[in-house]
Amino acid sequence: MTKKHLGAFHVVLILWGLFQLSPLVWLFYSSFKPSLEIQTKLFSLPTRWYFENYDFGRFRQQGITLGIYLKNSIVITSSSLILVTVISLLAGYSIAKLRFWGKNLLTIALIGMIGIPIHSFLIPLYFFVIDLGLLAKPLGLILPYVAFRAPFTTLLLQTYFRAFPDEIIEAAKIDGCSHLTTFYRIVMPVSLGGISTVLIFNFLYFWDEFLFALVVMKPNAAKTLPIGLTNFIGRYSTDWGPLLAGLVVATIPTILFYFVFHRNLIRGATIGSIKG
Amino acid sequence: MSTIAPGRRTRRDHSEYLTGYLFVLPVVFFILAFIAYPLVQSLLLSFYKWDGIGPWEFVGIDNYVRMFGKDRYFWSALGNSFKYSIGASFGLLTVGFALAAIIDLRVRFWRLYRFVFFLPITVSTAVVALLWLRIVDPYGVLNTLFEIVRLEVLQQDWLADPSLAMSVIVGIVIWQHSGFPMVIFLAAMQAIDEDIYEAAEIDGATVIRRIFSITIPILKNAFSIVALLLLISTFKVFDIIWIMTRGGPAGATEVLGTHLYQTGIWSNRYGYSSVIAIVILVVSLILSVFYTRISGYRDKP
Repeated sequence: MTKKHLGAFHVVLILWGLFQLSPLVWLFYSSFKPSLEIQTKLFSLPTRWYFENYDFGRFRQQGITLGIYLKNSIVITSSSLILVTVISLLAGYSIAKLRFWGKNLLTIALIGMIGIPIHSFLIPLYFFVIDLGLLAKPLGLILPYVAFRAPFTTLLLQTYFRAFPDEIIEAAKIDGCSHLTTFYRIVMPVSLGGISTVLIFNFLYFWDEFLFALVVMKPNAAKTLPIGLTNFIGRYSTDWGPLLAGLVVATIPTILFYFVFHRNLIRGATIGSIKG
Repeated sequence: MSTIAPGRRTRRDHSEYLTGYLFVLPVVFFILAFIAYPLVQSLLLSFYKWDGIGPWEFVGIDNYVRMFGKDRYFWSALGNSFKYSIGASFGLLTVGFALAAIIDLRVRFWRLYRFVFFLPITVSTAVVALLWLRIVDPYGVLNTLFEIVRLEVLQQDWLADPSLAMSVIVGIVIWQHSGFPMVIFLAAMQAIDEDIYEAAEIDGATVIRRIFSITIPILKNAFSIVALLLLISTFKVFDIIWIMTRGGPAGATEVLGTHLYQTGIWSNRYGYSSVIAIVILVVSLILSVFYTRISGYRDKP
C-alpha cells in the first residue's frame, strides 16, 4: 500500500477521536471545579482541584442520594452477573455437549428470545413483579435481568464450549467424573475467554439498563445510578458540579472494565453479530 | 449438531438425558417466568381494557381499531420511531464504514484508534444523555464554544426546536455508537485477501477506487447484517430520548418506546398501551427474522 495519502487520513482519524473524547475529558476535569467556576470559565482547567462535588452526603437534603444509588447499582449488577453466568454456563454446556431430546427446539427458542424487546412485555412483567412482592426490591430487578440476558449468554457460551474436543470429555467420564465435575474441572477453565466476554457484555447491560429500572424502582432509596442521576434534571439546572461528579462516578467502573477487557469486547461484538 | 444414534440407548444415555435437562432447567425456568409468561399476557391484555386495579374488561379488537384508526399520537410516534431508527442507522453505518475503511489501510497506531472509537459505547446511556444535556443546553458548552469562536449565528436552542431536536439526538447516538459498526466492518475487511488489493495496486487503483470497487462489493453481506442490527437496536430506543426530551418539544421526538411508557405506566391505560407493545414486538420480530436469515444463525444450531 502506498503511504502518500495516509497523512490526510490520520487527520480525519485524529479529529474524530478528539470529537469523541473531548466531551468525556471535559466531564472529568470539570467535575473538580465548583459549579460557579464551571459556568463562568467553561473550558479552563480547575484553578484548584475541588473535591466537594464528590461529597455525596451534602446533597442528601436535596433528595439526591448518590451513595445509595451507587450501592444499589453494585448490588444489582453483581448479583445478576453471578446468577446469569452460572445458569447460562450450565445451559450452554448442556446444549453444546450433552445429548437430550428437544435441544434444537430450545436453541431456536433462545435465538427467538434475543429478538424480543423488553418493551413488548414490560407492563405484564411490572405487575408480575408486584404480585411477587418484589416491587422496589433488588430481586425485583435481578430476577428479570437474569431472564433478559440468559438467552444471549447461553448462546454465546455454547459456541465456546462447542469448540472443546469431545474425546477429552469422554476420557474424563471413563475416569469416573460426573457431568458436573467434568464441566467444572475440565471444560470451564479453558473457556475463560468466553466467560469474560459475556461478563463484560452483561456488566455493561446491567449497569446501563434504564427502562425496566425506571418502572420498578420508583422510591428514591431503591433507585439505581442511571435512574437516580436523572434526579438532577431541571431541579439543579445551575448546580453542575455535583451532577458532573455523579456522572464520573457512574462512568469510572465501565471505563476500567473497558481498559481490562476491551479485546474481549471488540472480539465479542464481532463474533456475536456475524457468526452468531 | 450431534443427534442421537438410533437404536443405541444405554443407561449412560439416560443419565446424559437427565443431566442435559437438569442443566438447562434454570435458564428455561427464568425465561418462562419472566419473558414467556408476561409476553403471553401482553398479547391478551391488548384485547382488554384495564386500569391496573379492577378486573380486565374484554373489548375485542377495539384497542387496535382505535389505535390504528384515529390515534394520531400513535401514528406520529410510529413515524418518529422509523425516522430515528433509519436516521441513526444510516449515520452509524456511514461513519462506522468510513472509520473502518481508513483504519484498514493499516495506518500506524490503528489499534489505538480502534480503542478510542469504541470507548464511548461503554459509557452508560444515562450518563451520555445527561452529559450532552449540558453540552446542548442554551447556555451550555456548544453555544459557548460558538461564542468564543465568534460564530454566534450557529447558536441554537438545540432541544427546544421541534425541527432540530431529533437530529441532535441522532447526532449524539452517532457520537457514542459508531465504534460498533466500525469493529464489525473492520473484522470483515481484515478477512479480505491481501492479494486482491495488491493486484489492484499494480493496476494503479487509488485508495478511493479500491474502496468502491473492491471493499464495498465484497462487504455487501456485512452491510446488510450491520444495517439490520442497527435498525433492531435503534427501533426500541427509550432512555436517551426519555432523559433528554421526554418526547418533546411538541411530540417531535416522541417514539413508540416513550409513547408506551406515557400511555401505560403514566396514564394507567394498560390494555390500550399493550397495542403499542405488540407493534414494537412485530416490527422487531420482522427485522430479527431478516437478520437471522442473513447472518447464518439459521444454519448454525
